[in-house]
Amino acid sequence: MSDMFQTLAVSASGMKAQATRLRHVSENIANADTPGYRRKTMGFQQTMEAGRATGLVETGRVQLDQRELPKIFDPSHPLADENGNYDGSNVDLVVEIADAREAQRSYEANLRMFDQARQMSTRLLELLRR
Amino acid sequence: MYDKLEIFQMAGGLAAYSSSRQSVIAGNIANADTPGYRARDIAPFSETYRADNNEAPLRATRAGHIAQPNADSTFIRQIDSPGATAPNGNTVSLETEMMKAAEVRVHQDLALSVYQTSLSILRTSLGRGR
Repeated sequence: MSDMFQTLAVSASGMKAQATRLRHVSENIANADTPGYRRKTMGFQQTMEAGRATGLVETGRVQLDQRELPKIFDPSHPLADENGNYDGSNVDLVVEIADAREAQRSYEANLRMFDQARQMSTRLLELLRR
Repeated sequence: MYDKLEIFQMAGGLAAYSSSRQSVIAGNIANADTPGYRARDIAPFSETYRADNNEAPLRATRAGHIAQPNADSTFIRQIDSPGATAPNGNTVSLETEMMKAAEVRVHQDLALSVYQTSLSILRTSLGRGR
């Protein structure tokens, strides 16, 4: 039975990590037109406890994409320099949407595992009811 | 008392096996995006079940005796899944994991059905009927 609880904990950690990832993606998309905005990226890592991997997953540090910001020519923009350029954001909408899809797919997979573990334990407990 | 009957032992063993395999699969799915994570699996039931039976277990008859180490942890053997490795070193394939999860479910269903049926046969033989 403890395996079942471990499964639920692992799947929940996966869902939490994917939800955090989706939040960063939505932040990036929301700021796609913000001048000078750098895309946020983050990785996943295994949760360690006393030097051992627990099997759970967590999100790592958020990092900013260091790619060069695109120069946008618009002399009427308040942030424009003497040449009429200002720094745009380095968010690529296509990449973000692909990332969001992947997060969704992984979230669903975790959810399905969660559900299956729950059903399996229910089925096990049904043995006692008879 | 029912442990002595081979069929109950085997059905119980298969149920326990499926729940620990489910836990391993959930771990793989949760870590589907973790860089450097290698997909894990556990040895097939036919191997682990026979191994359990052949090995003479440590008998603990007093509180001070050394207990048998937890069988579940020794069960889990690192097996690399034959799937492709992603550029970040991750070897988890969601599709393969989903297939394994379906397999686990069938195994657990089988184990519990066998257990339940054997139990009702036992009841019938005791004269209580269903």
